[in-house]
Amino acid sequence: MSAPRGRDAAAFRIADQLAGREPWEVFGERIRRFEIHLSGNSVEMTRGPIAIEGYDIRVFRPRDGALGVGSQASNDFSAEGIRAALEDAERAARYARFPAHRFDLPSGRGATGGIVEVLDRGLWEYPMDSLENYVAALRTAFEGRSGYTLSFGSVRATLIETSICNSDGLRTGYGHTQVELEVAVKAFGGPEGPPPGEYWLNDSDRRLRPDDVPRRADDWCRFADDVRRGSLAPTGEMPVVLPPAVLAGILPTVCGGRLTGSARLHGIALAPGVKVASEMVTVHDDGRLPWAPMSSPVDDEGVPQRKRLLIDHGAVSEVLYDSLYAGAFDTHSTGSAFRGLSSGMRTWYRFLQPPEVSPSTIVVSPGDGGSDAELVERVKEGVWIQEIGWSSPDPVSGSFGGEIRLGYRIRNGKLTDPIRGGTVGGFVFGPAESPSLLNRLQAIGSKSAVVESVSSPPILVGALPIGGER
Amino acid sequence: MGELSDAEDDLYHAVARLAQRTPFVEVLAEGVSGLSVRYNGRLASYQGPPRIRGAVFRAWTGGGWTEVSVSGLDAPTLRFAESAIERTLTHRPAREPPPGVSSSARIEAATPMTRPIRDFGEEEMLTMARDVHAWVEGSPDIHETEVQVSWRQDDRLYLNSAAARCSQSLCRVRGIVTPVAMENGRAESDRYVCGGVGGREILDGLRPEGARKAAEKARALLGAKAPPFGRRNVLLSPSVTGYFAHESFGHGAEADQFIRGRSYLQPLLGSVVGPEILTIVDNGAYAGAWSQIFCDDEGNPAQRTILVERGRFTGALHDRATAAALGASPTGNARRSDVFSRSFVRMTNTYVEPGEATFEELVREAHDGVILEGGVGGIEDPQGGQVQVKARMGHLIENGKVTDLVSSMALSGKVLEFLRAIRGLSGQQDFELDTGSCGKGRTDLLPNSAGGPYLLSSAVVGQA
Repeated sequence: MSAPRGRDAAAFRIADQLAGREPWEVFGERIRRFEIHLSGNSVEMTRGPIAIEGYDIRVFRPRDGALGVGSQASNDFSAEGIRAALEDAERAARYARFPAHRFDLPSGRGATGGIVEVLDRGLWEYPMDSLENYVAALRTAFEGRSGYTLSFGSVRATLIETSICNSDGLRTGYGHTQVELEVAVKAFGGPEGPPPGEYWLNDSDRRLRPDDVPRRADDWCRFADDVRRGSLAPTGEMPVVLPPAVLAGILPTVCGGRLTGSARLHGIALAPGVKVASEMVTVHDDGRLPWAPMSSPVDDEGVPQRKRLLIDHGAVSEVLYDSLYAGAFDTHSTGSAFRGLSSGMRTWYRFLQPPEVSPSTIVVSPGDGGSDAELVERVKEGVWIQEIGWSSPDPVSGSFGGEIRLGYRIRNGKLTDPIRGGTVGGFVFGPAESPSLLNRLQAIGSKSAVVESVSSPPILVGALPIGGER
Repeated sequence: MGELSDAEDDLYHAVARLAQRTPFVEVLAEGVSGLSVRYNGRLASYQGPPRIRGAVFRAWTGGGWTEVSVSGLDAPTLRFAESAIERTLTHRPAREPPPGVSSSARIEAATPMTRPIRDFGEEEMLTMARDVHAWVEGSPDIHETEVQVSWRQDDRLYLNSAAARCSQSLCRVRGIVTPVAMENGRAESDRYVCGGVGGREILDGLRPEGARKAAEKARALLGAKAPPFGRRNVLLSPSVTGYFAHESFGHGAEADQFIRGRSYLQPLLGSVVGPEILTIVDNGAYAGAWSQIFCDDEGNPAQRTILVERGRFTGALHDRATAAALGASPTGNARRSDVFSRSFVRMTNTYVEPGEATFEELVREAHDGVILEGGVGGIEDPQGGQVQVKARMGHLIENGKVTDLVSSMALSGKVLEFLRAIRGLSGQQDFELDTGSCGKGRTDLLPNSAGGPYLLSSAVVGQA
């Protein structure tokens, strides 16, 4: 089953009872979740099914040249429960005010948006078996591996039927899977060496790939060993290479903060045409990238997702909108309404939170920087940042930065000693005289990787401030 | 919607039936209610917490713990959960009881309120938000100010097969003012927050001078210098001190990290790790604090646990499993984000106890360095013993005087080195607790609070 069908989908069951209260929208989810938690190499706990079914009703009430928008989430499907949720939404709408000049809900019947690969069929059909297979692969990968252990880990799989209806006749839905992997790998080394080092991975994906575990386990062990051996970063402004895993912690938040209709309404958006980055930078937002965590056929208002050009050769191109913010600026939604983002961590059940305007997957176009090794060859003295503890991006100022959890010194065009500790930071957008990630860009690698909500090659920034040894 | 009494009989009977199949079973039910309003002069929005109730059953099996969660507390939904647990017990019957002591506490507690929050209607909340907004209207260079006023009541009922019954109702109330300043495309913001566990009286703490000060700081940040980078004397403001305590001794003292063999602190239990002036506490029973609880989600009463006493690492935070494994007692720190999330050992209100110095004395003692102000967040490193915290802004200290404003920065360092370098703590007059949230890894957010006084030490800092 890849999409909720018939009248039993969560949103469809509510929609039938809202006639006469137009305009309205219902977002529904039916969720099954399964988890296996490991302590060391042993199973500590199995969880599931975690069964949630719920919906959010949004109503839109024109008033004095503006819109009163009210919403209420609930898991009560009784007639009384639906009535109570609707009353709450209506009451919120009476007091709320959104400065939209017009408002267009997406319309149409049947599935819209075509097919986007976001559902792992094996996981969907056999969730607990799939999780157990994955955990077996994980445990096997560490059996007999001298000097490395699993400290703990968890694999959590969520199977979701999303359904969306509105009073303009939209009835759509799709099934999708989400996987969260947390693994901490410890490297011991020799008795005379430094204390154990740990590589701690938090990853999200759309599918379980047990065949990848042995290869990934090799990487995790290497990183854990480098964490163990790493020494404090040097101090100074110097060339820095940032791989996609680091950019994933920075770009979505800052682009969401400055390149959306929400930012425009708040007066902090970067205007189309404004130069914000080096000429070599072209950035898209792609809501249809296969298997990306934020990809889907339609956004959370039912508008088909698509590829959108955000930065064209260094200049702002398009700004993202949902239906509400599009209405405020007399334009159209770009299919960029997403729920479950307001806590700062994306929640696995989304119906509890109203939609916000957000990028889907930020795609940085590959450049001519070549392979990772060729990118590094351009640097005489600098740093490769493998991981920042928390890059703490600020959506308003566009600043980012944090502790270097793992990096490597670059000397004469080669990666050398591992780095552990110290800080790196700057601004994403900003004038070239400031430590701006995109304006001080010197090269973009040629090969992209998708990590969380970013698809990008590594990038070489001419100079960022590194705080480290005396 | 938050009330749970209508479901108690069904929950009780489900536990009683499952108790015939396993040595131990427990259930936690939850319901929430509340309201949040945001206002920025042009836009007003309302959001109530979801009208959602649910329960999680946890049972001891032959292969460890198993859990099933459901949304809804009606009889068929609870029966579905009970059946799922029964199926697991059929395949993996438990022969021995689980490790640790099962709570048999009987607790019935609710947030005391001078002025009940439920009387605070939509219109009145919007009026308050507009009034607060007016405090900063017309401030120079302030492009926009968002005011958020909210309350959320979280009702939880815990029952287990050892006869525990713990019912608690917690109400968290908060006002947040966020002015955004803008000039030549550069945007900066600051936050002024007032919150705690209580009733509407919490919001009486919102003061015009606090909001205006935040607006002034946002504006000043537009012209702030870049922060220094490298090792410096650092004077942490109360909120940054709190993040330090939380990320270092908070996460490092969560005893599940001991069991996982990933706490750098475990071998140091009982050892001196810092100066005599340093005492760090986790206190879930702190009345009115943002993360106050009456009991945890295993039915153990909240308590004050001293983690570091006069420089000596004395205690850790426990749930039943870690207490059993390490020969300790549960400390009331087993917490779930909600009934759909698992329980972990979690902090509550974690803080550094005040010292005796004044702010001015600490600035003089530092002589040269940087003040980190306005804690934004941080991240722990239990295995490596490092810590990262981020501050929204700061000031330079030059020749024993506070000088230029600098923009946001991160602090990085080895916790034990940082502790050894502590040279002073300011007094009770500066003590503050914040109203934050904390994840376990990157998931399971729950209300959390951290704080302390000004703290002087040294660490690596850099732009962030």
